Amino acid sequence: MKIPSGEATIGPFFPRRYVDAGANDLTQLDDRKADGEAIEIAGIVRQEDGTPLDNLVLEIWQADAKGIYRHPADPRHGEADPKFLGWGRAATDQEGRYSFRTIRPGAPQGRARHVNFMLMFSGLMRILKTTLYFPGERANEADPVLAAVPAARRALLVAREEAPGRYRFDLKLRGEHETPFFDD
Amino acid sequence: MARYVIPPRDERTQPTRIVPGYPQTPWRNPKAPLVRRPPTLSELTGPIEVAKRVQLLGGDIAGHGERQAIGQLMHLRLRVVDEDGTPVGGSVVEIWQANAAGRYIHPNDDDHAPVDANFYGAARLATDDTGLVELRTVKPGAYPVPTKDGWWRPPHIHFSVFGRVWLSRLVTQMYFPGEPLNGQDRILNAVPDAEARERLVARFVPPTGEPHNALVFEHEIVVRGRKATPSQP
Repeated sequence: MKIPSGEATIGPFFPRRYVDAGANDLTQLDDRKADGEAIEIAGIVRQEDGTPLDNLVLEIWQADAKGIYRHPADPRHGEADPKFLGWGRAATDQEGRYSFRTIRPGAPQGRARHVNFMLMFSGLMRILKTTLYFPGERANEADPVLAAVPAARRALLVAREEAPGRYRFDLKLRGEHETPFFDD
Repeated sequence: MARYVIPPRDERTQPTRIVPGYPQTPWRNPKAPLVRRPPTLSELTGPIEVAKRVQLLGGDIAGHGERQAIGQLMHLRLRVVDEDGTPVGGSVVEIWQANAAGRYIHPNDDDHAPVDANFYGAARLATDDTGLVELRTVKPGAYPVPTKDGWWRPPHIHFSVFGRVWLSRLVTQMYFPGEPLNGQDRILNAVPDAEARERLVARFVPPTGEPHNALVFEHEIVVRGRKATPSQP
């Protein structure tokens, strides 16, 4: 039995070319449009004093429009949308802003529809993991991951719908309105 | 394909989140306790076809002939395995490092060390079936961190590894054996357990004549996850 390697910060010098053009657009694959409704998820990432963070790397992972993961561990993965990868990467700009274009995920079995987030940054010795939920979903109340979050903080994981299909999900790494992060 | 489970980690083998003398860490790491969550399919699946979204860049970043980078040429044999020791094939690995003078090609690096026009310092490739990637590069230099109290980073190489599932995603750094700066580096020493720190240091392979012009190092990265044990009937 081997012990997982120690994590380390991504540091300030993650090569810019690793945030490939189009890596934040999950709505197509190999020039073919994914099934389902295209949505936008955008927000600002801030540290404790409210300063927006530049050059922070975000990655997302989610199910396709039918709630299927493109991965062999999903018993339904044979039916996964071949035009949807489920993964994307973005980096924040000088105002701390990031954005993704993606497909509204279906609800996977036993879960509310959601999008997994990872944050990597200079000064983060470990990857920070959190999850976005959608507003107005009755299934949120029964979601086992959201239920693990103290009730008073759950609303911080629910994105705000600013316009139809346009979601705002701000992330605060520490302090007031701190985003709940998961330890796995 | 085998089902994988993700056992919790021993905290002593992982860095503390707030590091004394690393001035950004107290602003950016959560104050509230992290939330333990039940693993579901969402965390126990993950992107295994990242190369469809990002471009692989190859593992030879030292350049050749008149375009060869300045510095000590080195080969790195990097193996990615899981907690069972099983090779993780097909995993994208992103590698980045400073040049031989300790300078990165990045708008954030305003150090005075020289840029090498023949060295960008980034490789992105996928592991083969044995979990191996091979890197041909120059050994990175040490560099001072812009803090007031004399912290230098020892020579190191950064890795971002995807592994098999979302929770096996890993960002780590590799160090070189025998470097005098290793003992005082605040990032390496943020890992409390001495053996866990030692596992972040590459192994030097004594020269055998092949390759004749490069030092050889080997390193193993262990991503989270092991095969599920079938439950008793």
